[in-house]
Amino acid sequence: MPFDPRPMLPGDAYDAARRFAEASAATLAPLHEPAARAAELATQWAALLELGWPGMLVPEAQGGAGGTLLDLAALAEGAGSVALALPLAACCGVAPTLLAGQDALLAELAAGRLQPCVALAGGITLEAGRLSGRALGVETPPRPSHALLAVEDALYLLDLGTPGAAFTRHERIDGRLTLDLDLQGASAQLLAAEAGTSVARACDLGALLSCVEAVAAMGTLIRQTIDYLLQRQQFGTALASFQALRHRVAEMYVAWRNLTGLVQAALREPGWENIAFAKLRLGEAGRFVAEQAIQVHGGMGMTEELPATRLARRILMAEFEWGDRHVHAARLLAAA
Amino acid sequence: MDETAELAAFRAEVRDFALAHCPPEIRAVVAANGKLGRKQWAPWQRILHAHGWGAPSWPKEYGGTGWDQRRRHIFDEVLAECDCPPQYHHGLRHLGPVLIAFGTEEQKARFLPGILSGEDWWCQGYSEPGAGSDLASLKTRAVREGEEYVVTGQKLWTSHAHESDRMYTLVRTNAEVKRQEGITLLLIPLNSPGICVREVRTIDGWHHVNEVFLDGVRVPVANRIGEENKGWTYGKFLLDRERLGGANVAPAFRFLDRCRELVARELAGPADALKRGQLEYRLLLAEAELRGARELGKAAVDAVTAGEPLGLMPSELKLSTADTVQRIGAIALDAVGERVASRFRPVDASGPNAAVEDIEWVQNFMYLRAKTIFGGSNEVQKNVVAKQLFGN
Ligand SMILES: Cc1cc2nc3c(=O)[nH]c(=O)nc-3n(C[C@H](O)[C@H](O)[C@H](O)COP(=O)(O)OP(=O)(O)OC[C@H]3O[C@@H](n4cnc5c(N)ncnc54)[C@H](O)[C@@H]3O)c2cc1C
Repeated sequence: MPFDPRPMLPGDAYDAARRFAEASAATLAPLHEPAARAAELATQWAALLELGWPGMLVPEAQGGAGGTLLDLAALAEGAGSVALALPLAACCGVAPTLLAGQDALLAELAAGRLQPCVALAGGITLEAGRLSGRALGVETPPRPSHALLAVEDALYLLDLGTPGAAFTRHERIDGRLTLDLDLQGASAQLLAAEAGTSVARACDLGALLSCVEAVAAMGTLIRQTIDYLLQRQQFGTALASFQALRHRVAEMYVAWRNLTGLVQAALREPGWENIAFAKLRLGEAGRFVAEQAIQVHGGMGMTEELPATRLARRILMAEFEWGDRHVHAARLLAAA
Repeated sequence: MDETAELAAFRAEVRDFALAHCPPEIRAVVAANGKLGRKQWAPWQRILHAHGWGAPSWPKEYGGTGWDQRRRHIFDEVLAECDCPPQYHHGLRHLGPVLIAFGTEEQKARFLPGILSGEDWWCQGYSEPGAGSDLASLKTRAVREGEEYVVTGQKLWTSHAHESDRMYTLVRTNAEVKRQEGITLLLIPLNSPGICVREVRTIDGWHHVNEVFLDGVRVPVANRIGEENKGWTYGKFLLDRERLGGANVAPAFRFLDRCRELVARELAGPADALKRGQLEYRLLLAEAELRGARELGKAAVDAVTAGEPLGLMPSELKLSTADTVQRIGAIALDAVGERVASRFRPVDASGPNAAVEDIEWVQNFMYLRAKTIFGGSNEVQKNVVAKQLFGN
C-alpha cells in the first residue's frame, strides 16, 4: 500500500479539524474571485467560532474551553493537513496568549465579539499618545473588529473603526486573508506597557503552530505526489518507475520526518530554542518539499486547481509567519 | 528521588566516571578528531566493562546494563561531551545482538564475554570486489568438509581487519539456488592459516580499510551462526542494527561544537565577516538537522526496546545523519582548506603532515565521504525508502 502519513497528535480533535478543512477546501475550490472567496471564508470562520476554536486556549471561567497547547496543536495538525485557509495560529493561539490575564477581553474573544488581527512585526510608532505608521500583510480573520499591535515594548488594542485607522485587504499565496493597516494618529487602548517578553512568547507559540500546520501539509503533499507519480503515465510506464523521481520523493520524505522530529520535540518542550530550530528547519525542509512537489508534477504543478499546489503554497507561506529562517537563525546566533 | 533528579544524578555519575577513568591520551585523540583504532577503543572498553557498563544496549542476562532509552541516551551524550570514544561497534552493536538472537548457548558463552571486555576485536567481512551494494552477489566460497568449512575468496573494504582477531563473514555455501538463499554467516579467526590482510590506501591518509584474502581457510562448523544458507537473514538483521548506529548523534553534536570553535578561531578577523556569517549559518542548519535526527533516533531505540518492527527507521536515520555530518566536515574544510589543504603530505616523510595544525579537518572531510557510501549507500537507502513509500 502506498504511503499514508501518520499524524503526530491523532484523535478526535485532529479528525474533526481535518474534516472541517476538507469541507472548506471543497467549497472554496470552484471560487476564483478573491471577493467570493473572502465571503465564503467569512461563513466558514463563523462556523469555527461556533465550534469554539478561538476559545480553545481561553480559561473556562472566561467562557473558553480551557484547553492546552497540545489540544490546539491537534486542531492545527488536522487543519494543516488540508491547508485550511483560516488564521488558526494567529487568532486561536497568539491572540489569547497576548490577552492572558485580561479576563474581560478573553471573554469577548471566546464569545466571538472580539475578532482581532495580530500585528507584532513593528512599523507602528507612538507620537503624543497616538499611533501612526503601516503594518503590511497582517494575517486576519475575515471580518476583523480590532488589531492587537506591538508598538516598541508595549501592546495596544486598536478598534479598526476608530478615526485615523484605514486598511486594505489582500489574499496571501496560500489563500488566507491579510490586511495592510495604515494608521495616522489613531488612538488605541494600551494593554501592557512592558509586553516584550509576552509578545515574544506569543510569537513563538505562533511559530510552533505554523510548524505543526506545515508538517501536516507536507505529509499530505508527499502522499499526493506519490499518488500522482503512480498514476501518471509517460514513456509507456508510470512515472513512479523512474529512479530519479523515486529518490526525490525519498528525500522529501526524509526531510519531512526530520522536521517532524524537531516539531515533536518542540511540542514536548516548547522553549524558544526548540521552536527556533524547528522554524529554521522548516525554512529548509518545507521549501525543499514544496519546490520538489511542484517539479515532479510537471506542468500540473504550475496550476492553481491542483490540491498539491495549494498545499505547496501553504508550506511556502508558513516560512514567513512569525519570523523566517533568518530571523530565527539570528536569534540563535545572538544567544550562542 | 523523582525521575528528573534520578536522571540528573545518573548524568553526573557518568560524567564523573568518564572524566576520572577515561585516559587523557585517548580523550586527546577524540578531541583532535583523530581516527580511532583498537589502541584507543580496547582499553576504554576494558574500563567500561570493569565498571559494569560494557554493553548499554544488551539485555542484563548477557552482561548488559538494562538501561532504558533515556539512560542510554544520556550515557552516549555524556561520553561524547567528555571526548570519550563512542564504543567500538562491530562487536557490541553488530555481532552481539546477532549472537544473542541466533547464536547457540555455546557460541554465546564463547564469544560474548570477549566482546564485553574488549579483549576480542571483530571486523565485518561482507563486501567483495564484485559485491558492494549488490551484496547478495558475493562469491567467497565455503565448502563443507566434515566438521569444517573450507573458505576461499576475497573480501574488500574490511575496516580494522589489520587490528582484529576475528571476522564475521558472509560466504556462499550454495551457488545453485536464488542468490540470497545460498549464503551463510561464519565467524572466522583471522590468525587462521590461509588468510592475508593487505592495507587499502584511502583519500583521508589514515589506515582503516583492508583487503582480506582467504585461501583454503578451515573454519569449524561450530563457528556458523544459525543454519547453513540462512546467513542473509542474519546478515540483514545485523545491517539494520548497523544503520541504527545513526541513533547515537551525540558524537556528531560534539563534532559540530568543535567545528564551531574552529570557525570562530579561524575567521576572527574583520575581513572574514561574510565567510564567518555564512559558515555559522550553515552550522545552525546542520544543528537543526541533527536535532531532528536525535528525535528519530530516540524513537528507533524505543522501537527496538519494545520489540516493535523498525520499518523505515534505519534508513531514515542513515539518510538524516550521513549527509549532515558530511556537511559539518565541509564547513570545517571551508574554514581551513585554503591554509591547510595545500600542505597535506610532507614529501620527505610518510603519512599526512602532522606538523600542520588542523590537518585533521582535511582528513576528516575526506574520511566523511564514506558516510554516504558504507553500510548501504544513500542511493540504496533511498531505494529502500521509495519501495516502501510507493508500495513496490
Ligand atoms: C571507509 C569504508 C569502510 C567500509 N567498511 C566495511 C567493512 O568493514 N565491511 C564490509 O563488508 N564493507 C565495508 N565497506 C564497504 C561498503 O559497504 C561498500 O562500499 C558499499 O556497500 C558500496 O559498495 P561499492 O563500494 O561496491 O559501491 P557500488 O555498489 O559499486 O556503488 C557505486 C555507486 O553506485 C550507487 N549504486 C549502487 N547500486 C545502486 C542502485 N541500485 N541504484 C542507485 N544507485 C546505486 C552507489 O550508491 C554508489 O554511489 C566499507 C566501505 C568504505 C568506503
